[in-house]
Amino acid sequence: MEALIETDVRTFIEVTEYWVPEGDTLVLAGGNYGDLKAFEEASRQTSFAKGEGLPGKAWAEARPVVLKGFDGSYFKRTEAAHEAGLTSAVAIPVFDGETLKSVLVVLCGDDDVRTGAIEVWKADDTLLRLDDGYYGAAKHFEFVSKHTQFPRGQGLPGGVWAAKTPILMRDLGSGYAFIRSESAGKAGLTTGLGLPIPVPGGDTFVLTLLSARGTPIARRFEIWDARAAKVGKANDAVLIDGICAREGRLWDDESPRKVSAWQGLIGRVLGTGLPVVEQTEGLAAGYDSVVALPIHSNGELAHIVAWYA
Amino acid sequence: MKKLVVIGAGMASGRVLEHLFDADPDAYEVTLFNAEPRGNYNRIMLSPVLSGEKTYQEIVTHDDDWYRENKVTCRFGEAVTGIDRDRKVVKGANGEVAYDKLVIATGSAPFIIPVPGKDLPGVISYRDLDDTNAMIEACGKRGNAVVIGGGLLGLEAAAGLALRGMNVTVLHLMGHLMDRQLDPAAGYLLRKDLERRGITVKTQASTKAILGEEAVEGVLLDDGEVLPADLVVMAVGIRPETRLANDAHIEVNRGIDVNAQMVTSDPDIFAVGECLEFNGMLFGLVAPLYDQAKVVAAGLLDQPGEFVPKELSTKLKVTGCDLFSAGDFADGENREDIVFRDPARGVYKRLVIEDNKLVGAVMYGDTADGNWFFGLIKDGTDIDEMRETLIFGPSMQGGASVDPLSAVAALPPEAEICGCNGVCKSTIVSAIQGGATDLGAIKATTKASASCGTCTGLVEQLMEVTLGDSYAAPEATSICGCTDLSHEDVRLLIKSKELKSQAAVWQELGWKTPNGCHVCRPAVNYYLLADWPVEYQDDPQSRFINERKHANIQKDGTFSVVPRMFGGMTTPDELRAIADAADKYKVPTVHVTGGQRIDLLGVKGEDLPAIWADLNAAGMVSGHAYAKGLRTVKTCVGKDHCRFGTQDSTGLGIKLEKKLWGSWSPHKVKLAVSGCPRNCAEATCKDIGVVCVDSGYQIGVAGAAGMDVKETERLADVTTEQDAIDLATAFMQLYRENAKYLDRPYKWVAKVGLDWVKERIVDDLDERAALIERFELSQSIYRKDPWAEEAKSKADQYAPLADLTLEAAE
Repeated sequence: MEALIETDVRTFIEVTEYWVPEGDTLVLAGGNYGDLKAFEEASRQTSFAKGEGLPGKAWAEARPVVLKGFDGSYFKRTEAAHEAGLTSAVAIPVFDGETLKSVLVVLCGDDDVRTGAIEVWKADDTLLRLDDGYYGAAKHFEFVSKHTQFPRGQGLPGGVWAAKTPILMRDLGSGYAFIRSESAGKAGLTTGLGLPIPVPGGDTFVLTLLSARGTPIARRFEIWDARAAKVGKANDAVLIDGICAREGRLWDDESPRKVSAWQGLIGRVLGTGLPVVEQTEGLAAGYDSVVALPIHSNGELAHIVAWYA
Repeated sequence: MKKLVVIGAGMASGRVLEHLFDADPDAYEVTLFNAEPRGNYNRIMLSPVLSGEKTYQEIVTHDDDWYRENKVTCRFGEAVTGIDRDRKVVKGANGEVAYDKLVIATGSAPFIIPVPGKDLPGVISYRDLDDTNAMIEACGKRGNAVVIGGGLLGLEAAAGLALRGMNVTVLHLMGHLMDRQLDPAAGYLLRKDLERRGITVKTQASTKAILGEEAVEGVLLDDGEVLPADLVVMAVGIRPETRLANDAHIEVNRGIDVNAQMVTSDPDIFAVGECLEFNGMLFGLVAPLYDQAKVVAAGLLDQPGEFVPKELSTKLKVTGCDLFSAGDFADGENREDIVFRDPARGVYKRLVIEDNKLVGAVMYGDTADGNWFFGLIKDGTDIDEMRETLIFGPSMQGGASVDPLSAVAALPPEAEICGCNGVCKSTIVSAIQGGATDLGAIKATTKASASCGTCTGLVEQLMEVTLGDSYAAPEATSICGCTDLSHEDVRLLIKSKELKSQAAVWQELGWKTPNGCHVCRPAVNYYLLADWPVEYQDDPQSRFINERKHANIQKDGTFSVVPRMFGGMTTPDELRAIADAADKYKVPTVHVTGGQRIDLLGVKGEDLPAIWADLNAAGMVSGHAYAKGLRTVKTCVGKDHCRFGTQDSTGLGIKLEKKLWGSWSPHKVKLAVSGCPRNCAEATCKDIGVVCVDSGYQIGVAGAAGMDVKETERLADVTTEQDAIDLATAFMQLYRENAKYLDRPYKWVAKVGLDWVKERIVDDLDERAALIERFELSQSIYRKDPWAEEAKSKADQYAPLADLTLEAAE
């Protein structure tokens, strides 16, 4: 698989955690902190009221939030983050209609090497504009992205917006009518996962995770379709797309993989409607960490995106 | 070991080799030619490669290792130049190869429409990886792409190009996209989905030429429109690639002729895939190709096998477009439709049943049960016992009902519900949520439904949607069994949801039938042409016979022809022309009507175009005596001749009729202008009646003199002729825009109230001007003589199917 290559370099995202509401408070429900035990411990001792800290802000404002630089901000775990070398974070709320199911938070550390992009795009009537994004060392790409807008149906963000479904694109760096594509190619960004982030109110958000070969966000991506319109009412999901550095293509046009609720970790997402974030052995293709994120839409769990490292 | 040569490394021949090697890997020494410089890949996944959602590596079916392991001698990138059947050798560009058995799998070639400019650089067909890569490269240069062909391949190309950032227009010759696989309703939803991706779709678009000097620069359509283009993709169809077989004198019809064992006219030569023809059929989808491959592999091993074509199903590979189609879904006398629509989710399902068997299925937006339906079609299952719940699929045999509120629930918050007071859905919903839980409270808090009241049904449905079962809306009378919505609801929803085609109305308003019925179609056709005169094209098939024939059918099957006499005035020349026509066409009855014109009764259907042509030649146009539209403007002779006349009543009548003729309305509209209050033109019982007085003009509306008799109500008194014309025109347009189909003006005014009408066209001068402007826009389309157009273009439709009189005489 050319788009995804195994390397020894640490991945772009250092920490992933998810928070779930318990009454008026968000409490930690799971996470992958790698070796950053102190930060994990600090997180376990923390909870967030609505509007408080980064997860609480995503809940209160019902929108994905990008935070670059913790000093002097509303971020609550600044000291622990500093010690862990974490400098930026993105909070992604998971709503089912009006109800918050959870908030997924990814945290990254700056250096001159790690390249990637986590972007939040927001739609107005006719165009998607960059709301905010974290790019690591991809400074030129960041600059170009800030000046790029996508109409419906064009590019990864516009495609997700129009299709209302997650999309996984393979080679972002060539063959596109966007200047951003040339810049992506220069930054080494190859694989892009775009997903709709439904929120209460009328706003449209699209999240994109752009992965570089050298410092990938993940080495395996999967998109599962769980809509009743696709799989019936049995609470199943079918794998509609996926690539893996170790196993190549994961999709099968003729007989796609299918899981039912509670079958494996994708089945657990189907069963609970909540994300799964784990660091464990025995995952697909021998990976040891996974994030599986549900997308609720039109009153049902519509899709699940998963990434492994 | 016997020698097998295969020409073409496509999906069909690849599957032949898989079966062959599985069954007996040592049966043949295999040589595989391919004109492309690569082996077998999953061609039907090229569209995701084009869109960037797959890589070529992911769609490779047989890689180098596979060919090596199976000891296949690959001659990729080498064209085969001929087959010598006598010597049993295949001639390649790099030398000959002997065969014991030969498989021709040359596939198909794209059909290129023979228009000027088809060979310009930048014009690409869409068949293989090279075409795909050429398109991807073109995207890097940015610009406009035109895709010719709105079938599967063309639409997949369009979506891929759009995703890569091109501005894409799809041209399709037929009336709806994928017309071979979808019915118009599903085609409508597909079009909507593609347009949501920023793709421009033009149906009934015929390409006249591809323009450009050095490279493609544009596409010229038959209607004269020029579309700028940096890339043109031809995806109008394929034809079997038979040149090698032809040259080798193997029997070829449209494709290489084979029997059920896939053997050609030469017993040592098989054909497989898109290059062949079997029982007059050609094959383009992969499922039958794989069936053929099994048969070929069996034949190569001297085992029995027989190819039996099966029903096919279709899916489109555009991410986010969920469609499924299988079987036959054409209309038929013994066929019954089951339709399910969910406008909120953009879902349409239609099942076609014949003799208790499912024969066709079209689905859009929800395809979960597609394969189950496909199985029922293939197996010919008797569905009689599950007919009631069939549409809900295998898991819903208990059945769920279509939600009649879904169309209202699907309205966006900004959709205007009450046009009178400009109140949108979100305002009403907020009021309901704020405690306004009955109609009176809604009227008081928002003013919605407080004026003409035609939006009452919608407001009540909004209360039902918002409050759930705690609110029970009074039952409204629906148009017909095709829908639960009333005329008023449909009119308002056509406006607020900007529905501009019948397909859009059926889908977005959750019609229960595929195309409406004889009751709702004329109404919907009228509402659409009244609200969207420019965008909507009048559908003659949705009109009653009189309007289709532009004449009134009589009880003996003949027709009556009434030429228009503006203001009831005529001339000796016109009268001579009418008399000549009556003589020439042996018209048995000539009658002077109450609307001051002459009716020629007893005209044969086949004579209509000719009699119209003769009357047109004398300067006369249709009197629309058959129309739900303006009929006549009756006048008295006015002050020029009558000693009591106060104004030029005939002059005003002529001006009014010239202004209003040709316009369609919910029901017929009759006018009159009397020159004085003695009212010789009987203006006080017309839909619009003007009575001239010394001080000006008294405008009355909403009179009747038919089943009901009613005097007009005074709309206004005005002093100038122009004001009289403006008021009449504005009233006509207000009636056209708001009344229920088949309500005469007096019935409509009784519902909305004369005060409501006055507020809009007497008191509000801006609104009056806007109404007149909209009327004129509509008249720019419809103020045309239908006789002239029909006489020119459709004369053959009026001719009898056979001349039975002549046959009888012989």
